[in-house]
Amino acid sequence: MLKTSVLATLLGICLVAAPASAQQRLIHGKVINDVGDPLSNVQVTVTGTSRITNTNDAGTYVIPARTGEILQFRYIGTQPIERTVGTSDTINVQLRRVAVSLNTVTVTALGQSAAERSLGTAQQTVQGNDIAKTQRMNFTDALQGRVAGVQVNPTSGVPGASSQIVLRGISSISSSNQPLFILDGLPMNNDVFNSGALASGRPNSQNSFENRDVDFTNRAADINPNDIESIVVLKGPAASALYGIDAANGAIVVTTKRGRPGTGGFEFNTSTQIQSPSKYPEIQTQFDTTACCSSGGYTYFGPAYAPGTKLYDNVKNFFRTGVSTRNDLAFSGASPDSRITYRVSASADRDNGVIPNARYDRNNLTGRSTAQVTQWMNADLSMMYSNSVNSQPFNGVDGPLLGLLIWPQTDNAANYLTPGGDRRLIGSQSTYTGSYDNPYFSVNKNQNNTKGHRFISNLGVTVTPFSWGYLKSNIGIDADNSDHLVLRHPESETGASYTSGPGTNGGVLDVANVTTPHLSEQTLFNVNPYSITDNLSITGLVGQAVVDDKSTTVAVTGNSFLDPNFVSINNTIQWIPLTTNQQRRVVSGFGQATLNYHQYLYLTATGRNDWTSTIPTGKNSFFYPSFNTSFVFSDAFPSIAKYVSGKLTAAYAEVGRDAKPYAYIPVLQQKTTAYGGFGYDFWGPNPNLKPEWAKDWEFGTQLSFLNDRLGVDATYYSKRTYDEIVQNIRQSYATGFILFNLNGADTKNAGLELTVNGVPMLRHSFEWDIAANFAKSAGKTVSLPYDLPELYSSDSWVAGNVRNGTMPGLSTMSLTGNFWLRNDQGKLLIDPATGLPIASGDFIDAGYDRQPDFTLGLTNTFRYKSLSLDFLLDIRKGGDVYDATDWYLTTHGLSKQTEDRWTPRVVDGVLRDGKENTANPTPNNIVIVPAINTNYYTDMSPEQFIEKNINWVRLADITLSYTLPQRLLPNASVFVTATDLFMFTNYTGLDPLGSASNPNTGGSGSVGIDYGNFGIPRAVNIGAKVRF
Amino acid sequence: MKLTSITRTTITRSVVLAGVLALAAGCDNFLDVNNNPNGPSAATVSPNLYLAPMLNWLVTDPQWDAPYGIPNYVQNFMDVTTNYHHTILDEMGDFNTDVGKQAWRDVYWSWGQNLIDMNTKAEAQQRWDLLGVGMILKGWGWEELAGLHGDIIVKEAFDQSRSKFDYDTEKYALDAAMTYLDSAIVLLQRTDGAVDAAYLAVGDHIYNGDRTKWLKFAYGARAILENRYSNKASLYNPTQIIADVDKSFTSNDDDALMKFLGTQHDDLNFFGPTRQNVTTKRQTQFTVQLMDGTVFGGTVDPRMSRMLAPSPDGQYRGLDPNQSLYGALSTSERPMNAWGYVNTPPGGSIGRYLFADHEKTPVMTYSQLQFTKAEAAFRAGDKATALEAYRNGISSHIDFVNARNQDDNQTQGGRCSAPTVCAPPVTLISDAEKTAFLADPNIVPAAANLTMSDIMAQKYIAQWGWAFYEQWMDMRRFHYTDHYAGEAQQAFPNFAVPTNLYVLNAGKVIYRLRPRYNSEYVWNADALSKIQPISGLADDYQTSMLWIVEPDGTPEH
Repeated sequence: MLKTSVLATLLGICLVAAPASAQQRLIHGKVINDVGDPLSNVQVTVTGTSRITNTNDAGTYVIPARTGEILQFRYIGTQPIERTVGTSDTINVQLRRVAVSLNTVTVTALGQSAAERSLGTAQQTVQGNDIAKTQRMNFTDALQGRVAGVQVNPTSGVPGASSQIVLRGISSISSSNQPLFILDGLPMNNDVFNSGALASGRPNSQNSFENRDVDFTNRAADINPNDIESIVVLKGPAASALYGIDAANGAIVVTTKRGRPGTGGFEFNTSTQIQSPSKYPEIQTQFDTTACCSSGGYTYFGPAYAPGTKLYDNVKNFFRTGVSTRNDLAFSGASPDSRITYRVSASADRDNGVIPNARYDRNNLTGRSTAQVTQWMNADLSMMYSNSVNSQPFNGVDGPLLGLLIWPQTDNAANYLTPGGDRRLIGSQSTYTGSYDNPYFSVNKNQNNTKGHRFISNLGVTVTPFSWGYLKSNIGIDADNSDHLVLRHPESETGASYTSGPGTNGGVLDVANVTTPHLSEQTLFNVNPYSITDNLSITGLVGQAVVDDKSTTVAVTGNSFLDPNFVSINNTIQWIPLTTNQQRRVVSGFGQATLNYHQYLYLTATGRNDWTSTIPTGKNSFFYPSFNTSFVFSDAFPSIAKYVSGKLTAAYAEVGRDAKPYAYIPVLQQKTTAYGGFGYDFWGPNPNLKPEWAKDWEFGTQLSFLNDRLGVDATYYSKRTYDEIVQNIRQSYATGFILFNLNGADTKNAGLELTVNGVPMLRHSFEWDIAANFAKSAGKTVSLPYDLPELYSSDSWVAGNVRNGTMPGLSTMSLTGNFWLRNDQGKLLIDPATGLPIASGDFIDAGYDRQPDFTLGLTNTFRYKSLSLDFLLDIRKGGDVYDATDWYLTTHGLSKQTEDRWTPRVVDGVLRDGKENTANPTPNNIVIVPAINTNYYTDMSPEQFIEKNINWVRLADITLSYTLPQRLLPNASVFVTATDLFMFTNYTGLDPLGSASNPNTGGSGSVGIDYGNFGIPRAVNIGAKVRF
Repeated sequence: MKLTSITRTTITRSVVLAGVLALAAGCDNFLDVNNNPNGPSAATVSPNLYLAPMLNWLVTDPQWDAPYGIPNYVQNFMDVTTNYHHTILDEMGDFNTDVGKQAWRDVYWSWGQNLIDMNTKAEAQQRWDLLGVGMILKGWGWEELAGLHGDIIVKEAFDQSRSKFDYDTEKYALDAAMTYLDSAIVLLQRTDGAVDAAYLAVGDHIYNGDRTKWLKFAYGARAILENRYSNKASLYNPTQIIADVDKSFTSNDDDALMKFLGTQHDDLNFFGPTRQNVTTKRQTQFTVQLMDGTVFGGTVDPRMSRMLAPSPDGQYRGLDPNQSLYGALSTSERPMNAWGYVNTPPGGSIGRYLFADHEKTPVMTYSQLQFTKAEAAFRAGDKATALEAYRNGISSHIDFVNARNQDDNQTQGGRCSAPTVCAPPVTLISDAEKTAFLADPNIVPAAANLTMSDIMAQKYIAQWGWAFYEQWMDMRRFHYTDHYAGEAQQAFPNFAVPTNLYVLNAGKVIYRLRPRYNSEYVWNADALSKIQPISGLADDYQTSMLWIVEPDGTPEH
């Protein structure tokens, strides 16, 4: 009977009238905490139905229910309680404060609610308010340290910088490692615009950015953090097997706030933020340039500055104090009968960074409404519109930071224009090319602007046709429309050479419009627990989903400006257009069943089949299973429950992953060589492309002690990825092509996550909560296709021949480079002719690994009466960082370490004289005075600048808040929040966070390569929160 | 109106059921969205649209390779930077790299599958003229690659189901080249089918769709290939070479030239001041001595001041690869760069000769072919024919220099001021200068006094600055420093290989380029290791002599 009904439901015969039942009436009551204070925002649910409400500020609630139905009271940090509705209309409860509880009900994959005890896989929840109170514009940045195993890597510290998010380390060495974002049940686009879609980014272009010199916001940042109710991080493919191939790297499930029945009101948050640089880069101030300042003349190997020479502190003068504001207004409530809830919010956030002209402004409008349409049908509609404007400076070698550092200190950089308004040339310069851009010129005249319009709507319908199950269907559109404008000014170093001939101006203008309508639909049929015997029950679901992701970029690049200062493509003479269309569709069917034995042994099996458009027909349908089990040993053996309660879990999952669209079909492209025409792009055909495959084991335990006041959650995982689709892999050109997308790499990841939660202190006026998130992960490359020696992403190859190369046996986050050659005993080989070490001509391994030994996030929350203080320490141990900025400064004679250039020295090593690998190598005895033999600096291997084992302790955020006395102003608080207030680190460069290219760079990306990147500024917010 | 629950249920059921069925029925099509919409489909694109990019590379491959090895080996240029290129390239070295291996990239990729597609479609559509041009490219590709690399991949090439590709012998590649050129000659004579100059002209900006000129080109390509067998008495056929040259270009009007319009960056001459690809190159002493009277009995070649760059003191000098950088030359004695400036000029500046943004770049010239004919006739003992062709070669090259110096305003040069020092504008060679030069017995001797050395030296001048591949072939045919039988002077007078050869050459001169690194050394090393007689993986593989310049009777390899 059950089987037939499920089938019938799948076929769409689902909407039958709800069964007749007892009379529904309004139940009300109050919820208080351990010490008798009212608890607001407690979720009250009628189990097995979609009826849900929250308590108001006075701790009271109202909900329709029938006699015999069960009310469940849930509140974060408390032990959930269930009460059966009896004859009384009033149900009051007291919720007990706990650090962890196996009875907590959390959201898991596909928006399902499940008791913590039944989960056999690792997941972790963060409350939206904890994210919002950090005042970070990009909510993803606030996840760092709050979830074990989540690594957030901001590209830089400028407003609107993108962030890369990686769960459990790097497993894909060529494709993206980012998780899937789910917003209210449907996939959410978190793309970062790829500079390859700019017309200047076309293949063979002379002036493409390669995702290095420009950065764009990751689109998840369009979400207003104040709209987020909670974030659940599903870490491994085990937890996310149900979300399909896009969740092969985990899933971040965002649920937004809804209106609360029984209350109505406004909430207003405002804050003002002051940003200042955390650290200023340092340069030597003793030695002048050799000959200022034409091409190549910016090297500081000249004479010492004459006494009395006026030196300008250009570096410090350049930065500004950024003043930003955040304002957020929401009103929410419910209809008197609680059948309709609503929440509408508007926000206007301004982020002005410490770099002149850099800003990120975002305005959001969201509306969410739920309605109980009939007794058996609920509808939920959410709509979000976000409008953002982002101006970022360029990054890296084209960016203002390197220009700032190399600018002659004898010159006031702030004076960057001639009286006529043109770029001021200095020294022996006679043209705008072949030198460096003045940093002020760069930030004032070059532009990287994005204007984004994001619209996300999601309609959900829940139908309860039978008492034993319900159907939930969501359909949504996530559409982004962004205009990008990237200007390399006609007088800039990077733009000046793009002229159509003598007498015309240079300059490169890229404009691009991106539209990404992503459509998705998902339907689930849930079967409520069905008792097979007294002690054994089964529950499950079947579902189906369709994803249709489309993106269209219409771009044009123009060069040769008529008027050097009029920014419009109409002002350029030479144009190249480029449209880039992409479409991908995935259809899926899936199911899950959980057996529950005695409420202490759970066994869950899932299966999913995906059909994707991006894999050749015949291989594009693939099924993958997962199994997990949870054993609540303290319930099975009650005798030990007085010492410890907890569960043991084990899980196994497989997950497939498809390719990028068009990965195996060659395409013709318009050629930009003389007289146009068409020819094949770099990529050759691969009709044998198949999905890559991951197999994942996970073992965990969740333990709680001291009456649930102390909890420990530990997970060990091991993942092997086979047949990884390696993008852009070369083959012999004799194929007729240069690159292929093919299966081949094999990687292994393993790690440990440990979360400790505790409530060390709980008094009437004083509470202290503590949470620690520890993670250790390691990824290793097992093999590469065709016995390739090395695989790397060229985007990461930015400075001094170091790149994110990995080789079999190395970490997936290793670095390869032209490192020093050494003899058998590891001594440097010295060139007998020069006395200098010899760098390898090939990219070799020298044991560098950017993967930290571990990361630890430490949250402390103190509440004393109306005061609360909480802070997050982000701690990292180990992991190498390449300070390419320092390499750049040193090779130009600017770093502090070049100040002792007149000190003679002998480089420690042995001469490469044929005896280097004998028992008696010749020790180097050639004396060098670097001031004279400047090759000592200019030929220095970048290896010298890879800093080993970088540790840090970073005060990621700290908030002090004070709730005003009720008599003064009810429901109001004021707060001070600071982010990135300090960092203790052994890193000598500007900021070890940051990345030399944006998250579009595949594999391990450029995390841990610090090149011309602005560090993350210190920010202090003062604000207030009012509800009325 | 309120629906009864039965009708509502029925309607809803029907709608949902219909939706599910529609989805199921459309499922196959629903996933069929993987045809890349960003470029035309190879199935439908018109074959003439493939041609222009391929012709672009036909013309520019030698230029793209020029900043690297060959022009240094043949001493057109040498480097004036202290980086490793200076030593390695000026010392006849070649190393595992992609740079300087442009022809490899273009024959296998830029032409590769595109050329196969174009030829297949042209054949199906009976476009014999387009197919003929396609056959020229097939032949030319193997001809050039075998000349640069010796052993190459021919038989197994363009098979995308392979990941390893065996090398074919140089002889096999040369024979393949000849077969394609023979086919081209047959096809380009056809006027039936869909032969259409206007259609061909869409992609052909060298001859604007003129089939008859491509036919001449095919004969020229064949003559050049035939002449490469000069060390193989059993395979060398001067009569055939002369006949092919005679069917080929009849005047400079037939020269294969492509003009760079400069509509965008890629469409500017690679050697022009805007693209700045030869900023570190300076003319060599060897080149200058061919024109300043050192070699030709004191007669100064009027082309010298129109092709080469003076030093700031107005004198013409060249650099010696055995000297570091400029050697002992003082600042005012150092030759300016090829554009005629002391420093790198700003983009868009006026250049000189072939070093100008909107230059017409040659790929084969009448003058070049006349010298080929002169050599063949000379070897056949027909000195009268040889002299006539030799004189034609010089005369037409003088006209060529004048023509090129008018392509892009070179005669209006000199728009530069301190601190940019530049050469005065080039002038045109007057008729009087030309007549006097051609009448000078130092330059054009009596037939009996003509030497192979004269022919090769003048051919070198005519090919200077563009035909690097063929110059290198010529030099290797004479093993750089050979004397032609019984002649007092080397075929390339005063040419000296560097005293310091690249360390990995093991004392030998270079004879071939190593294959492109990221194509072969990384991906196809096993096949390289099988090359005979020196393994492609050996450090001195670049010194492995081409079979075609080895003595007659050397086994094919």
